[in-house]
This record gives sequence, C-alpha cells and structure tokens, in this order.
Amino acid sequence: MLKKKPSPEDQAEPLTRRKVLSWLSGFSLCGSAIITVFSNFTFITPRATYGQPNRFSVGRPEDYPPGARIALEAQRICMVREGNQMAAISTTCTHLGCIVASSETGFSCPCHGSRYDQDGNVTAGPAPKHLPWYRLTLAPNGELEVDKDTEIEVGTYFKV
Amino acid sequence: MSNQTTTSPWKTLTALPENIWHSIFRNPLPISDLGRASTTFTNFFLHVHPVKVHRHSLRATYTWGLGLIAFFLFFILSVSGVLLMFYYVPSTTQAYDRMLDLRGTVAFGIFLRNMHRWAAHGMVAVVFLHLCRVFLTGAYKPPREFNWVLGVGLFLLTLFASFTGYLLPWDQLAFWAITVGTSIAGYAPVFGKEIRFLLLGDSNVGQEALLRFYVLHVAVLPIIMSILIAVHFWRIRKDGGLSRPPEEDDFLPEAVSRTTAEPASGPSAAVTAQPAAHAEAGESARIYGIQGLVKGPITKAGNIPDRSVFSWPNLFMAELVVFLVTVAGVLLVSVFFNAPLEEPVNMLHPPNPAKAPWYFLGLQEMVSYSAFWGGVGIPSIEVLLLLLLPYVDRKLGGVGRWFSRERLLANSLFITFAIINLGLIIIGTFFRGPNWEFVSPW
Repeated sequence: MLKKKPSPEDQAEPLTRRKVLSWLSGFSLCGSAIITVFSNFTFITPRATYGQPNRFSVGRPEDYPPGARIALEAQRICMVREGNQMAAISTTCTHLGCIVASSETGFSCPCHGSRYDQDGNVTAGPAPKHLPWYRLTLAPNGELEVDKDTEIEVGTYFKV
Repeated sequence: MSNQTTTSPWKTLTALPENIWHSIFRNPLPISDLGRASTTFTNFFLHVHPVKVHRHSLRATYTWGLGLIAFFLFFILSVSGVLLMFYYVPSTTQAYDRMLDLRGTVAFGIFLRNMHRWAAHGMVAVVFLHLCRVFLTGAYKPPREFNWVLGVGLFLLTLFASFTGYLLPWDQLAFWAITVGTSIAGYAPVFGKEIRFLLLGDSNVGQEALLRFYVLHVAVLPIIMSILIAVHFWRIRKDGGLSRPPEEDDFLPEAVSRTTAEPASGPSAAVTAQPAAHAEAGESARIYGIQGLVKGPITKAGNIPDRSVFSWPNLFMAELVVFLVTVAGVLLVSVFFNAPLEEPVNMLHPPNPAKAPWYFLGLQEMVSYSAFWGGVGIPSIEVLLLLLLPYVDRKLGGVGRWFSRERLLANSLFITFAIINLGLIIIGTFFRGPNWEFVSPW
C-alpha cells in the first residue's frame, strides 16, 4: 500500500478509537447527570396539592343579592353581584400575596399600601397588575363554581 | 517489643490506662518544636491547620476572627438545632403547640430556642461582616478568587437557611414573612412562578410549605453548607494561608508557576531545588523547599527572618478564645432576651405591616417601589457583581491591609453599596408602619 503523507490537519487531530470512545462516554455521563437532575426536580414538583382546591362551589346565585360584594376570606375571593351579573375577584394582592381588605373605593392592601378600585384595577401603590378575575360557571346542581386556575378579563361578568 | 516472659498480667493491668491513652493520642503534650509540629499534623481535628502559621494571620485586628465566629455559630446552630428536632413536629396543627411546649414544659427548651434563634441572626450578620472584611482587605485577589466565590455561595446559603427556619414556629410572624418572601421569589423572570410553587409545594403557604422548609432547613442546606465550609477551609490552606501584605523577602506563589524568573520584581523566583540568589538582602540567601508543589509558609534558610510561629499553641489558643467568646456571647444574649413568638397563624388576617425577616427588609423596602427591580433585578445584579468581582478586578496590590490606598476606588464603591443596603434595611425595619407608610420610631 502506498503510504500517503498526512496533511497538517490530520496530524493535528487524528481521530482515534480511544478519542471517540472517551467522547461518547463523557457525553453519556453528562446526559445521565442531566436526566438525574431533571427527574429529581420532577419528583419534588407536586402533581397533587393537599391544600385548598382551586375549583370550588360558592353556593347558589340567590345567596348573593344584587349589589352585594361579599368577601369569602378562606377562598381568598370577593363575590360581586350587580343586577344579574356576577364576578369572582381575587383578594390576594398581586404585589406580595397579602390579603386585600375591602375599602370604600375598592380594595386596599395592608402590607405595602397597594390600592385597587371596585373592579380590581390598581390605583395606587407598588402592585404590578390588577386583581385577577376568575371564571364562574353554573354547575348542574344550580351552584356557582369558581375556577381559580382560569383567569378571565377584567369586566367579564357571568350572567345569572 | 518487650520480652514475652516479663509481661505479667499485673503489669498489663497497671499499664492499661497509659496504653489506652497512647493509642488515642500519639504525642505527649508538646515541649519541643518537633512535638508541636507532630501534634498538629497527627491529630485529625488539628491537621486542617498548618504546622506553622504566619504572625500576620494571628493579628486579631486583621481578621477580627469573623470567619471563625461564623463557623462556630454554625456549630452552635447545628447542635442546638439537632436538640430542638427532638421535640419539633413540622405540622401546621402541632408546630405552634410545640413552640409553647418548648417554652412551658421542656427543660431548657426556651433557652435552646433562644440560642438557636440568636445564633442564626448572629450568623447572618457575622457572615456579612466577614464578607466586608475580605473585600476591604483585598483578600479575594489571586490566588484566592475561587474561595471568594465559595464564600459568596455560603453567604447566600446562610440567608436561605435562616429564611427556611423562619417559617418553622408557625406563628403570624413566620407565616406572613414567608408569604411575602416567597412572593418576592415569584417575581423572578421565566421561572419565578415555578420556583415559588416548587418551594411551597402548593399555591399558598401551608402544610406542604412547612414540610418542605423543614426538610431544607434540617437536612439539605446544612449538608450543602458543611461541604462548602470544608472546601472553603481547605482552599485557605491551598491558596497559601490567610491573605497578607507581601514582604521584602517574600516568596511569591505566583512566581513559581512562571518558569521565567523576573529579577526586576523584587524577590526572584525559585525553582525547586534551585537556590535563588537574593539580590535585595544584599547577601546570598537560599530558599529550599518544594515550592513548586506547595504554596504557603516555607522553610527559609539564611538571613531571611522567619515570621511564622507554631500553630500549637499560638493559633489553637486564639481559636479557643474566639470559640469561648462566641459561645459566651450567644449564652449571654439567650439569658436576657427571649426569641419572639407571636400569635398562632391566622391565614385570613395579615398583620399590618407584614414584614419579611430583617435581612430581607432592605429587599422589601425596594420591592415597595418596584416589585421586579426591587425584589429580583437589583439583588440579582448585586449577587452577580459579587460573584464576578475577583475576575473583574484583576489589579494586584493592596492585599492584606485594611483600606489600602491602592484600593481606594474599589473600597469606596463597596462601602457605598453596603451603606445603601444597610440603610434600606434600617428604613424597612424601623421606619415603616401600617400600610408600609413612613413612621418615626420615636
């Protein structure tokens, strides 16, 4: 066989079996490490939460007379009824998670002085966004159901 | 060793205490330099120290013992924390009752809780002061860059460990401080909400959060911190001991790695087994050693003054004194001040104002202006600057002295940042009342 004179590139980087194998094993070790970290994070991310459910019943529409603004403290929402329109507004301050209190002009937060109007729009303070409105549905048994996982646009009322 | 026929049972019996003693302690109390040296490197607990240590490292006004105090506080926290674990239950229905039990029925319960609480606050403060000391003496400069990074990591872990412990009493202070604190984490870009959910195990602070904080507080964080502390100490040795100002006849560790000697730069570089002519001393001085492998105090021969002293007893006595002062301080504070315990958690009524732990009140003060920038943006930039500092500030010189003139700019910048942060904490702690409105503490 004729021996070819190796070009400078070949001389610099001869691709040996050893090199390929160490590259492959290094790659698989790194891959396993990444998969391990990822699966551990998946493990500690809860699939089911044990606290309060995010979908719950808040009673029948008749329980809320027109013009009512009733805060359900444990569920951290405020039920609003104007005429035959209803809405569920969050009472968790969008700033740092304190509970806002109802005030004459709307809502006010005791922690950092954020203020909101009747619809939950920010009027003062450090709160970065409006109080979320949650979707309301009427369950077959005639009870209103709040879904805190689904935010809707401010001012979108549910007709009862 | 001895002839078998001469070993009587009686002799074995009388020699028993001595034999046991010598099997544990290899050396008698040292009376010679050889003894001092071998005591240091044959004892497991002492061998993290060098046999000899530079006089400068022992100067109390250089280090103020801050790193050691932080370590001893960590030790006190570990011991008192494990003891508290015997009674604590991480459950929303029991945790607060257990706090009351510590106060009312457990022997020394209130005292141990005081020690744990005050040592924790103390550790946050001392670790910060240690960071200031290292900065203001320029001790993060090569070859100590990475140890500075480890130190910043330990500072953050200290804050996190203290923060996770804050929730465990399950009183109003705990609940709302963690509600506010984790909401700040929720402002982190991209993964903020996920981080918060992962930390709390739920969308709100509750049983899952208590359990998670407990696991982090008693297992995960202490283990990570112990490992990092070990590496931090080990690096001190490997980086040539504590930082100190260069000396006339100094053997620069950096010079070893450079194969070409620079005769102009004061002390000439010596290569292993190659005695270096010392121009500046006037006379020929010789340096022997394995300097190519080991940095730090080296054996010097000739007319070079040896400024190092034996660790036994000089360094160990100093460490003992620092330990005793630290323990005494924690005990004294714990006798006179009780750790606060407020009303049990009421998830419906936040206190007004709801405040985070004091070391996060600077953050909370900034958060009251802008949630993202105050809570995430500026703190991230500050931490990033701290981590990158030794790789950005590459100017040598000014190491080993407080407020060195050569480091005027760096030190002024750092002090300004420190004062701003401390000022924000003071404002958040004392000058903020209901609705986070400005109040006068007087």
